[in-house]
Amino acid sequence: MDNENGITLAPYLIIIFLAVILLVLEGSFFALVFLRGIKPDLLLIVIVCLSFLWGEKKGMILGIITGLLQDIFFGPAIGFFALAKMLSAYFSGLISREIYKDQIVGPMLTVFFATIMHESILYMLVSFYWGAEMGFFVAVESIFLFRAFYHFALTLFLYPIIYKADRANFFNPSYR
Amino acid sequence: MLRLTRFSPKLLGFLAIVILLLALINFTGEHRSRYTFIENLVLTAISPVQGFISELGSSASDFLQGVTGYREILEENRELREVLAARDTYRQELLELQKENFRLREMLGFQERTEYELLPAEVIARDPTHWFETITINRGYYHGIEEKMAVVTAEGLVGNVFQVSRNTSKVLLLTDSRRAVSILVQRSRDPGTAGIVEGYPEEEGYLRVINLPPEANIQSGDTIISSGMGGVFPKGLIVGEVMEVGKDQYGLLQQALVRPAVNFNRLEEVFIVLDIRQEEENIEGNFSMEGQREGRESLL
Repeated sequence: MDNENGITLAPYLIIIFLAVILLVLEGSFFALVFLRGIKPDLLLIVIVCLSFLWGEKKGMILGIITGLLQDIFFGPAIGFFALAKMLSAYFSGLISREIYKDQIVGPMLTVFFATIMHESILYMLVSFYWGAEMGFFVAVESIFLFRAFYHFALTLFLYPIIYKADRANFFNPSYR
Repeated sequence: MLRLTRFSPKLLGFLAIVILLLALINFTGEHRSRYTFIENLVLTAISPVQGFISELGSSASDFLQGVTGYREILEENRELREVLAARDTYRQELLELQKENFRLREMLGFQERTEYELLPAEVIARDPTHWFETITINRGYYHGIEEKMAVVTAEGLVGNVFQVSRNTSKVLLLTDSRRAVSILVQRSRDPGTAGIVEGYPEEEGYLRVINLPPEANIQSGDTIISSGMGGVFPKGLIVGEVMEVGKDQYGLLQQALVRPAVNFNRLEEVFIVLDIRQEEENIEGNFSMEGQREGRESLL
């Protein structure tokens, strides 16, 4: 299923399937189990890790596709999460050029900063369209940093799984 | 002169996508009471799975709460027994009052205000992000649900429908900071005390009543009810209980912290009010971005 640019469709179909499962879990299972605690955005972690491995171009496409899915599920408007996830994935893919992919610290730090970037973009969009009542730095201190550390820690467990799955061509069955 | 050729095609493409997404947000946020065909397809296909997973989550949550809060449950059980005993007395008094009220209403020829047609629905998903306070229910336009319909439980007001697909609808909860409801203080019923309840992000799960004039008769422990203005929410539904009353940031008006009557964390079943009478005035009817922006500006 390769096209002229060397982009295959299979990984994106698998990611769409994975994203639907994660979004259903986040909305129906985690939302009840975690109640008012800050819930992890597993989809963001997966997208940032994959962009880290695949580079900014594929990361950007991943971000748009999964973000649009999240918009359909939970977004107040189409494009809201798509923009935030696309930019975070692009950022992740860009900085991965300079970092070893087989060492865990790189992706962990990337997820940490990508989370802050993702939340900041959402904050700006919410502020622009509806007006945010919480100040930006209050939000960073009370929510973004906590969530970034949370994702940072979860990456320790998730990245090795994603890394091994990628090396085993799980996302690209035609190369197995 | 600035020449476009100085920019790489990659950068132009990237900027084009960003602008396209921003335009999409602007367009779909303005007029999106109904989903598009693709969204309908995805949501209809996924809603049974969401319902199933939601039940699993609910069971897991109950189990975890049971394990971690055994002592609290025992204490709560004892307190509830005491409350129930006290309620029996109140119940008799209320029945008498209800009969009297009914007679008076009949005499005056008023239509019973609380006779609404309610449709039960199950909550199948909650917004997992901390940005919005919304839930998804398993009823859509196929069941007669329309945008702006009020959503309630036996405890009180929950919110209102703001997006409808064939078999599911999204409900904007009272705790969402985009929501504003016209209210009354049940005790005083002074028209001057009508305020606006808004989500209160600093105190998650609480609401805030703003725009209360300095002479408003409101105090801690007062019950807040919906005023019925705007034709979205039925009059007299309990919104919550006043926890604190204070001055606003400019010291001119009063504001109050309100604990909602409904436990938004534990919402599993809700009712949609199908037949509220439409009034000409529409304070909280507009959910478009523009409407919310204008509404917020005019209220604050």
